[in-house]
Amino acid sequence: MNHGHGSDDRTGAAAMDCAGAMDRLFDFLDGELGPETEVRIRQHLEKCGHCFDEAGFERRFLAAVQAARAAEVCPATLRARVRDALRHAGWTEAAGS
Amino acid sequence: MTTEPPPDAHAAFSAVALTAIDDVYRFARSLTRDEVDAEDVVQETYLRAFRSWHTFETGTDVRRWLFTIARNVFLRSREKGKREVTLDDDGAEIVDAALAREAWSRGGLDTILERADLGPAISTALAELPEPYRAVVVLVDLEDQSYESTAEVLEVPIGTVRSRLFRGRKLLQEKLMQHAIDSGLIPQPTAPVRSTE
Repeated sequence: MNHGHGSDDRTGAAAMDCAGAMDRLFDFLDGELGPETEVRIRQHLEKCGHCFDEAGFERRFLAAVQAARAAEVCPATLRARVRDALRHAGWTEAAGS
Repeated sequence: MTTEPPPDAHAAFSAVALTAIDDVYRFARSLTRDEVDAEDVVQETYLRAFRSWHTFETGTDVRRWLFTIARNVFLRSREKGKREVTLDDDGAEIVDAALAREAWSRGGLDTILERADLGPAISTALAELPEPYRAVVVLVDLEDQSYESTAEVLEVPIGTVRSRLFRGRKLLQEKLMQHAIDSGLIPQPTAPVRSTE
């Protein structure tokens, strides 16, 4: 995802320090940065072991949260209830839907 | 408004909207924190979505559309948002406390993040996250919504999404650490873990 945080990219090509990289770490991991800032953070992480470890931890944490998504699904009773309500409202259930 | 979609739209509604019911359910749970209320929100969301199906733009993100409807349904059920919880200030204090413990807790948490049996602990920790953090974390981290989409669904600026997401994730790590200790996944650390609530 890139939603055009253009101001992030107007800071020039100076090397990014640890504070700057950590301040934008979640934006980086979420793919929410402009391309120039993303490159600068990537370059910083390649050079800084501490920040590299921080990024690795947050990346693993976010992956674990995403994996937990499958644990919570809509109960079958609610699916049936919604379909019943929709049918009552005029919805026609196609075969196989 | 009881506009009913034409018959040929019913199949599209089934294929596009109804297949997102797991996502709508998770979001409704995050809003209501109550199983019964969440089920009511899901049902009403789908009824409204069906009646408004002609307004959905084919090719756009149906989940974003459904999340927006679900939030409106939730707010309406809470008397148009009068009971909406806004815990920014209190939440900030909680997060400050969590951040203070982050350095030592991270080490323990990092050792269990790739365990296959961590899912229930994460679900429990997510359910305990206070608003306004929970909805943002659910939309971005579970439902893979962009900051922009999340801002639109929740009707807040992107900067607010960003700050709530940071705080919410730190709180979640804190709660997950506590659950991991309580369930024996990791040993009790030497530093005391105090409740954040």
